[in-house]
Formats: sequence, structure tokens, C-alpha cells
Amino acid sequence: MSELLRAPAEIKYAEELDWLESVDDGPRPFSWRLSPKMVRLFVLGSERSDGLDREVSQKWFGDRSFVERSIVTLASDRGLLLIGDPGTGKSWLAELLSAAISRNSTLVVQGTAGTTEDHIKYSWNVSMVIAKGQSRESMIPSPIMTAMETGSIGRFEELTRSTSDVQDALISILSEKYISVPELESGAGDDNIVFAKPGFSVIATANSRDRGVNDLSSALKRRFNFVRIPVVTNKKSEAEIVRFRTEELLRRHSIDLDVPPTLLDVLLRSFADLRASAAAAGSDDEKLESALSTAEQIGVLEDAVLHSNFFGESALTARTLAASLVGSLTRREPEDLAILNKYLHGVVEPRGKEEGGPWTEFLEGGRDAIATLS
Amino acid sequence: MSGAQEDTSFAALRGQLQEAAAAFADGPDALEGILLGLVDDVDRAVREPLEIFPVCHHSPASATAMARRLREKQPKVVYLELCEDMAPLLAELRNCRLPVAVQAFAGDVEGFPAQWAPLSVVAPVTEASAEYQAIAYALDTPGVELVLVDRSADHVFQWDGGAGPEAGTAGGDDAPKEEEAALHGEAVGVELGDLRPRFAELEEHLLRHGKVRHWSEWWHQYVEVPLGDSDHATYRQVMFLIGSLFRRLAPGEGSRLRVDEDRERYMWTRMREHLAASGTDPRDCLYVCGAFHAASRVEEFGVAGGSDTFTIPPRTATTWQYGLIPSSHAAIEAQFGLAPGSVSIAATEWAKGLRRSRVKPYVLEGQAGRRKSAARKAADAPAVAAGPAADRLSGFLRQPPAIDRLDEAELLGWSVEIVRAARRNGYLASTADAIAVFETSILLAGMRDRAKPTPYDFQDAAVTCIEKDSVPGRRDVRRLVEIMMGGDRVGRVGYESLPPLARDVYDRLAPLELKPEQRGVRRALLDLAARPELAACSDALWMLRRLLPQGAVRPIMGERRLGERSVQESWDLSLGTHQRALIELGYEGVSIEQVLEQRLRRDAYGPRATTADVLAAVEDATLYLRGRRLADELGGHALKVLATERTVDGAPEVLRRVRALLAYYRTSEPVLPPWIESFVKTGYAHYCTLLPTAFQDEDATVGQVAAMLGFLFGMEGLALSLGCDRAQLELAVGQSHPGDPSKTALLWAARVRLGTLSRAELRARCDALLDNPLVVPSYPRYLSGFVHALEPVPGLADVVVEAVSNAFARLPDPVLLPWLPLLITTLRSGAAEPAALLVREAGRIFPGRLAALDAWVPPWHASPVPADAARPGSGGPRPRGAALLPRHPAACDVVADLLGCAGEWSGPEASPEGAGGPSGVALLAAHPAACDAVAALLGCGGAWDTGRGADVPGALLTARHPRAGEAWEAVLARS
Repeated sequence: MSELLRAPAEIKYAEELDWLESVDDGPRPFSWRLSPKMVRLFVLGSERSDGLDREVSQKWFGDRSFVERSIVTLASDRGLLLIGDPGTGKSWLAELLSAAISRNSTLVVQGTAGTTEDHIKYSWNVSMVIAKGQSRESMIPSPIMTAMETGSIGRFEELTRSTSDVQDALISILSEKYISVPELESGAGDDNIVFAKPGFSVIATANSRDRGVNDLSSALKRRFNFVRIPVVTNKKSEAEIVRFRTEELLRRHSIDLDVPPTLLDVLLRSFADLRASAAAAGSDDEKLESALSTAEQIGVLEDAVLHSNFFGESALTARTLAASLVGSLTRREPEDLAILNKYLHGVVEPRGKEEGGPWTEFLEGGRDAIATLS
Repeated sequence: MSGAQEDTSFAALRGQLQEAAAAFADGPDALEGILLGLVDDVDRAVREPLEIFPVCHHSPASATAMARRLREKQPKVVYLELCEDMAPLLAELRNCRLPVAVQAFAGDVEGFPAQWAPLSVVAPVTEASAEYQAIAYALDTPGVELVLVDRSADHVFQWDGGAGPEAGTAGGDDAPKEEEAALHGEAVGVELGDLRPRFAELEEHLLRHGKVRHWSEWWHQYVEVPLGDSDHATYRQVMFLIGSLFRRLAPGEGSRLRVDEDRERYMWTRMREHLAASGTDPRDCLYVCGAFHAASRVEEFGVAGGSDTFTIPPRTATTWQYGLIPSSHAAIEAQFGLAPGSVSIAATEWAKGLRRSRVKPYVLEGQAGRRKSAARKAADAPAVAAGPAADRLSGFLRQPPAIDRLDEAELLGWSVEIVRAARRNGYLASTADAIAVFETSILLAGMRDRAKPTPYDFQDAAVTCIEKDSVPGRRDVRRLVEIMMGGDRVGRVGYESLPPLARDVYDRLAPLELKPEQRGVRRALLDLAARPELAACSDALWMLRRLLPQGAVRPIMGERRLGERSVQESWDLSLGTHQRALIELGYEGVSIEQVLEQRLRRDAYGPRATTADVLAAVEDATLYLRGRRLADELGGHALKVLATERTVDGAPEVLRRVRALLAYYRTSEPVLPPWIESFVKTGYAHYCTLLPTAFQDEDATVGQVAAMLGFLFGMEGLALSLGCDRAQLELAVGQSHPGDPSKTALLWAARVRLGTLSRAELRARCDALLDNPLVVPSYPRYLSGFVHALEPVPGLADVVVEAVSNAFARLPDPVLLPWLPLLITTLRSGAAEPAALLVREAGRIFPGRLAALDAWVPPWHASPVPADAARPGSGGPRPRGAALLPRHPAACDVVADLLGCAGEWSGPEASPEGAGGPSGVALLAAHPAACDAVAALLGCGGAWDTGRGADVPGALLTARHPRAGEAWEAVLARS
């Protein structure tokens, strides 16, 4: 496990999943490894009232009903499409769900402009075809096809980034639940058709900012249930998310460093301020190019932590945090710098005078970073 | 028979709770105190001889239990937790289609800060509520008395302050507010049985562990369903327990709790007073209150509670009006922060519960909005004594969550129905979706530990399966489910329960045959020529348009202005939708005329009313109210306001309105009303006084000064005839020394008008400005002044055209180009009339065809005609008018009559026969008064100068009125 830079959820939480499977006595649909309630518990964490012997940590933060609706969709006949702004945790939820349901979250097709139908269905091992001819052996199944064959969950990331004709290849997979391979001869034990085993389903994610690039066809929409994941605006849940992800990160890098709660608060409040100012901005020039998502916040903190660990005094300071904030959020010059400058002097400076604490240092760090960049 | 007989030994429960407290908290501590306190509260409430019936708002279980209990107990007195001053209105509920809200309204406040006005308190009543059951029972059962015991509306504001108890609790959802949700307006809501955790953590905890999304859902699942068919004792004990729990787990301090306790003291004091006064046995009474109040720990609690410890504070001097206004489920949800759709779902559950439990609900006799009266009089069933009801709480708390059986047919019906509704709203939904919704609902309910999907589960399932990335129509799936589950129900106040004003409006609009009480927009067509009797409707509609909020009454065709009436009108009426506004209008008076009069008076006599505001009120009074009484009174007030005004900000508006009113009175009245004559007279003196200051004041704009001059010159004839002195104006103009170029130009124009500056001199000054390179940059500002001057001195149009043309010809581009936009905006915004004049004049001066342009010489470049040549009697052609007099003596007489100059032809030289004599002199000699009148029209004041020139033919006028000559010259120069 330690040899993996980032272990997929089923490996990372393997022990927890094993334990849950051992105590799960609920009915399991198809070939699911856990019952729907246990899947929910795995994703959302356990409560005292669940009466379990050990605590299960919460891994995805958001409305409970989103998770329930997603699980129920996977238990039904339809595919699940998670749609939302970037950085809202769609892919993470998809990974957790497939890890919990089929213990394999790696059957992923990444949607890009270059994705072809072969990536969704199958392709051929050319040298083997030349040597042995076309057969099931010389066929390279796509992750989706593998998921069909094993009755597990296949994932399709950024569905709307791939072109419409490629997307439509999913229609028959989702409705007929088989892929025919016309290159193979029929008759020989249905070799030219790959049937999906029970438990197969697809979780796709789509970025709502990409709407209009490659819109889904009505036929495909009909085969997906849409679950819209909103941006987290609740400060409490956001704090939970940032803390959770940062701890994970520190663990991954084996860094022994504390993130003081006051600094976490500084980070959360500054993002909330910047979001409010972006919402009030009249034109694109008046708001930061960054979407200011929770993921972005985690990025800022990650940056600051790594910097403190390797270049600083092994302690996170407000100064480093400010530098990291300015560095991560500056994408255009001079617009973004001007906005950050305005924010530092218009909001942080008076707050520093009023509340003191880390804000003064935060202001200084921000100033230095801006001076360096401009 | 009553709660007192219940054998409530809670010893066993106490023991269990004690053990639990010890187990969870390692010993006796606060937890034990709370847990045992809960039992104590229940015990105490159960033992109270006056039976307390705890309820929760919009809870079908409460309503069912109430109906059942009332049939069983048949109490003689029902005490209800509602504002006591609303009692008289409750009988009117039968005329209304529920939900409606009982409203207390105060337009004028006394004893409260003025900025709180208007004060409004609403108590919505729905059919699926326990209070409606109690009201219907008490009002329709002979010998039963209904007593409202809660504080009055006045106390609501005394105790809660301007914010009100429930203000600002609008639901946290971000769904757009629909029209129906705003039915209560800005009113403060009061409600029977407000039962909800008082601090956020408790609610959050309950929601989290209950695995539900919002409070209404929690209540439905954990209280409503289990209590649905429970017996009276269980219901009561459980509700007491919940009330006590929320009471004990609440922030200890805070004004809210203090208000609650005061209300409890108030209610118990009132009940004891009533019991003492009527001598009723407490055991024959029923006290209906929110479960929260049933767990009260105030000293006054109970029939035997401490008396004389609470003095009910007196009401303020504010006069309250009472009425019923329409309400809706959405409005109730928005007002009390409930989840959208929850009240509708409660109504549906209530109807279903009635069918299942066969409880016969009470309905007011003749209740409007019901197909048939479901309520036969309750049979006079003998009061059944409640059996010994031991501790029901332990059993209830121990039993597993009640599981409703799956009603497959119902769910299937819902699934099909939602798909049809979605299709109608533009979704690409099909039968496959219906199947998916059905399946998903069951799966979701299973995940949430329910055998039967609740409406909320179904809603989630429908959203999951049907909602895609965008909403095709106006409503999303969530809203469609809400509508399907009973939808929003909008109440209507019946005709009989309306205030006199609203009834009067309906009566007056009856000839239109439109059913104005129905919701939606209705088109009314009024052909006033064919049906003159509709004029009264038209009057009423115009008044309503003035009084009601925008959109209630909207004219599509036809207008009403001073002196104008349309022959045909068409209106869009949505009085049904705006019934609340109409009812609130009814609090202000008994007829719309009275309300309009009050409002006009309020506008005119307000401390900040300006002259223009008062004149606007006069105009409205003239337009909408027949008779001149109010208009004259307000006009008199305008005079006073004008005299106290020290600024000229309103001058343009005053000028516009006075002009319109004068024109109207001149055409429609035999004589001008005295107030307007005085107004012109006072205004003349007033503006003369302010003129020099206004010219110098930097804050006074050139438009305002131009309007003042417009008033002075435009009304001069009337003012002079009423005894004003022109010398005052001349002095005022003489004293004016503006610094601003535009005002300087205005002053020059005024002087030309007064005759102290000739047109030639004015031209010369303009030329000098253009010649002086130091002044050229400010030339455009002079021009602005000239453009504004066209308002008071329209005769100057040719000079202004000349000045503008010169500017285009001679100004350097760096000066001219930046000024052009300014000229256009000035002309477009403030000077629409002068602009038309300017264009007309320019059209007259410039050649009409391109070919003529080459040979065209501007008139101001042509050699000037000697001034003398134009003068009559100095060798030039004979004045044209002179021939008229001798040829048509009758015409002369008619003109004299029109001018109001009675008199005889006198003297042989003036007789028609003597027509060969001096031209034009005949009129003057014959009617000296006519000369005066003409002079006054020309604006030439002055006395008769009898000493000289009387013998010169034609010179009589100029001799008598030296200025008349110049005025004539100006007139002739233009013609």
C-alpha cells in the first residue's frame, strides 16, 4: 500500500470494507458486496445509533439524500450521472460507491475529445490478430466491458467531454446490457456477444460548466438518472471536508505537521469572502478566474503545508498560507492580482486591526507574495 | 371523564429513566433532572382538572384526535390559544373557502414607533387543523362557548417588538417565491401549536438520526404516523412529552421564552377569570393549546394556580381593524418556515386519515368551498367516560416505529400521475420513467427503514428519475410533486365576510358580469358610448387603480386625464388574486371614495409634501372624485405650502400642474375657482421674490429657473388682472445677477420679454460672445440657457435658431463636438416642448429644398429692415386689421363683448360711418376698456397716459400704454 502514490478507495479502505462485509446482514442486490444501507454507511460514516462495534469515518461530505439517491439508482436498471461544478466531489463519490459496491473502482474511462468508441467497447491486439486471427483472446476489452463481464461498476469520467457519437455507444450498453462483437463469428457459444452480469452499472460524471459543449442525446439522458451535486456553501461541512482531505494528504506524505484551527478558519473565511465578492462582481474582469471550489481550498492548504514542511520551519504559518493563496489563485495578470490586492487591503487589513490574531501575518504574507509576483 | 380520572402512575417509567440516566451519565446529574422533569411535566399536565388538549399546527393527527375527543367529551366551554380580539370573526369562516387568515390590522399606530406602521397580525386557519375542529364544534353546537384566551394583537407587538414572533422565519429554501407565497404580505404570523425544537443543534440531531431531510418530514414519520390511530390518552401523553422535551432542551434565557411564559400567564389568568365569571365546572371545559405551552412551569399554571400574580398590561391606544384575508398553503409554509409542500401534504394525509379511521370531522354549517356538508350534527352521544388510562407513555416509547403498510396501488397511481404531469410540463418522460419512479421509491423507502414510501421519498424518487440537467418548463419535478400531492390551495373570503368597502366594490363592478372574486386575470370591455351606465364602473376602476397595488387593476385601453374621458375602455382585472389588498383597503374606510379622499389628504398634508405633491393631489381629486369640495380644499392648502417653500426645486412640476389645472378650469368651469386665482397671485409674488436668489444659487438648475420664469410670464395676464404689479417682476429681474452662463442667457431672454433689452442687442451680445476667443468655450452653455428660455419666452425661437446656427457655423470643433451630446440630452430629457418649437422655427427659416440652399441667405445676414418701416402710421402700409372695424361694426362689438368690454359707440369720429378716419382708433375710442384688456393680454401693465398724443391717429394705444407699442412690434415681427 505504501508503494502506491494514491491508493484507490477499495485498497485504502480494504480493511474497513472487509469488516463491513462481515457484519452486513442486509439484503444485497445482484452481486453487490455490501447492502445499500452499508454502502451508505461506508460513504457517510457511522453514527452511534447505528450500533456498530467500530466507528466508520465519513468519507464524502454532502447531503445524505444525494448518496441515497445514487445508491438506489445503481440498484435499479439505470446508470448514474453525477453532475455538478468542478471540485464538488463527484469523482470521489463515484470512486467510493464503486469501491463499496464492487470492490473495484478502477474500471474507468476518461472522457476526452480524443475518446473513441474503442475505449468504451473493445479494441484488438494487432499482433495477436495477425498471429491467431480475431478471437476473444486477441480482443482487448475496455474497462466498461470488463465491468460488464464481472458484474461490477464501470465509471465514465467527464462524459460530456467526449463527442456525441462516442457517448451514444453507451446507449445500447445501458439498455440491452450487452456488446456484440461483429468481427467474431456467431454460433460458437455466443462468443460474438458479451453479456453483462448482474450488478453491472455505470457511474458517469459530467461537469455542469461544460454544458453545451457535447450535450447528451435525449436517448442517453433517458438511460441515466441525474444527481446534481451542489457546491458546498455550508461552512461547517466545508471545514470538515478540508480537514479530512488535508489529514489524508499529510498521512500520504508522512508529514508530521499540525494545521492550527485558527489558520483553517482563516482559509475558510477568506474563500467565503472571495466567493461573495465574485458573486457580486459585474464582469469577468472583476472576479478571480478560479472557481473557488472546495478542491481549490484543499489545493491551497496542500501547497502551504508542503512548503512549510520542506522549506519552512515545519510549522504552518499564516504567512505561508497567504503566499500559497496568492500563488494558487493568480492565473491572470494583472486582473487576479488586482483583485487579491483589493481583498487584502479592503478586507484583511481592517480585520487584522479589529481581530488581530493570524490576520495581520496573513496580510503581510499576502503583500509579499503579490510584490514578488508583480 | 376527564384527565383527572386518568390513573397516571408513571413510577415505572421514572425508574427506567433513572436507570438510563445512570447508565449514560454515570450518576445523578442534569440528564436525570431533564428526564425525570419530562415525566413530571406530563404527570402534571395530565392531572390538571381543566383538560388540556395539546396540539401541533398542521398536524392531521392533532385534528383527528381533536375531532374524536370533542365527540366523546362534548365540552361546554372550549378555550383556544388564539388572539382574544379575533373572536368575533371566527363565525365568518363559514363564508370562506379555506385556508383563510384572520387578520388584525392597524394603519395608524399610537403607542408604537411610527415606523412600524402599518401593523398586521395574521392567524391562518386550514381545514386540516385542530383549531378548526374546535371552532366548528363550538360554533355549531348549541350551548357551547368558544373563548379565545391568548394575548391580543396589540400585545403581540407590545411584547415581541417590531420584528414580531415569527418574522424572518421564511423557509431556508432558495426556491423562488411564488405569488401565492406572498399572500400574507408583511404581516406577522401567529399560530396555534407552534412545536419545534428551539435550538438548531437539537433539530439537526433529530433530522440526522431520523434520516430525514427536514422538520416536517421528521414530524410526519416519528409523530404523525405513530399517533395516527392512537387513543386519546396516548395522544395526550405523547404530545405532552414532546412539548416538555422541547421546552426543557431550549436555550434558558432569551426574550422568546419570556414572551412564551407571559402568554401562558395571560391565558391561565383569562381562563380563571372566565371560570369565575361563568361558574362553569372546569371539568366541562377543554383548553386547546400548543403542546409547548402544556408543559409550562409558570406559577399561574392550572385552575388552582397562583392568581393575582399577573396583571394583564393595558392595550395601547392603537385602533385595530379586523378582517379575513385569503391565505394559501404556500403562504403558510413561507410564513412559518415549513418545508415547501408540507401543508399540502398534511391536508392530503388528513383526508386520507379520515377515510381510514372513519372519524367524522366537524365542519362549520354551510362552509363554503365544500361540495357537501360532511358534518352532520354530532349525535348527542353521551359523554363516554375515559377508561382508566394508565401510563401509556412507556408502551409508546418502547414500541418499534409504526410501519405503514405499502399501498401499492396508491404508489402506482402517483408514479403514473407524476409522469403525466412531467410530460405536460415539457419533460421527456415516458412509461419507463413511471416504472423507474415506482421502483426507486420503494428502494429509497427501504434504505430509510420505511416499508411504505412517504410522499417525501416519492418526491426524491421522482426527482432522481425524471429531472435531467435542465428544467424545460416553468416548474421542476419537485414542484410538480408538491402540486400533485394536493397542490397549493388558495383560500377565498366569501362575499358576506368581506368588509363593506370590498362588498361595495363587487356590487359596483357587478354590471361588468365578470365574477371579480375569482382568481386570475379577467378582461373587462367598457363601451361607455353605447352603455352610459358603465360610467360608474369606469369611475370605480380608475379609483381602484389609484389605490390598489400595481397589477390588480390595469387599463389596457383608455385613459383619464384632466378634461379627457375615454369613450371606450378595456381593463385587465385581477381582483381575486389581490383580494387581500382590497380587504386591507376596507380597513381604511367604508367606500373607495372615502379611502381615496383620506389618502389624498394624507399625501397633501404630510410633513414632507411639496407644492407639486399637493397640486398632484388636487389633480387626482379632480380626476377621480366628483365635485370640487376636496379639490378646492387641497388647492387652498397648496397655497399655504407654496408660501412656506424656500426652494425652487419643484418649480417645473408646479408650472406643469398649474397650467394643466388652469386649462381644465377655463374650459370646464364658468369661473375660475378662487383658490387657483389666489395661487397664481401668490405664486407670482412668491417666484418674483425668489427669482434673484435662484439666479445666483448654484443648486438651482437652469431648468428650474426657466420654469419660474415660465410661471411668471405665462400666468402674468391672470396675475396682473388680479392686482399683481408688473413692477415687482421688473425689479426682480433687475436684481438678478447670475454667474452661470446658462442662467445669464436666461436672464437676457427674460429681459427681451420684458422689453428692457431689444432683440438687436441680444443678437449683438451673442455675436460678441462668438468673437471673443476667451468666452467661446462657454458659448454652448449660453445656448443651453437659450434653449431653456424657449419655455418662458417662446417668441424668442428665431433668435435661438440663429444662435444655434451660428454655433454650428462658427464654433471650433473642439468646443462644438463635446457639446453636441449635451444639447441632444438636454433637448430630449427636459425640453421636449421647446425642442418642437425650435424645430418648427428652424423649418420656417431654413430653405425647404436642397436647390434653394445655394441662393439662401440667412435672415440675420440680410440687411435689416428699418424698425420704423414696420410701425403703423409712419408711412408704411396700413395695418391690416384697420379695415375690419369700419366695414363690420358688428364684429367689433362681438370682439368687445368677448373681451368683456361693455360700452356704446361714442363720438361721430368713431362711428362706422366715420371709417375713413384714423385706422384702428375707432375701437380704442369706442371702448377704452378694450384697450386695457388688449394691453393686459400683451402683458403691458401701466396707467393711462392721458396727457399726450391722444390726437395723433393710431397713436392712442401707444400713448395710453407706452409698452403696448413694443409688444405689438414683437408680435408683428413674428407674424
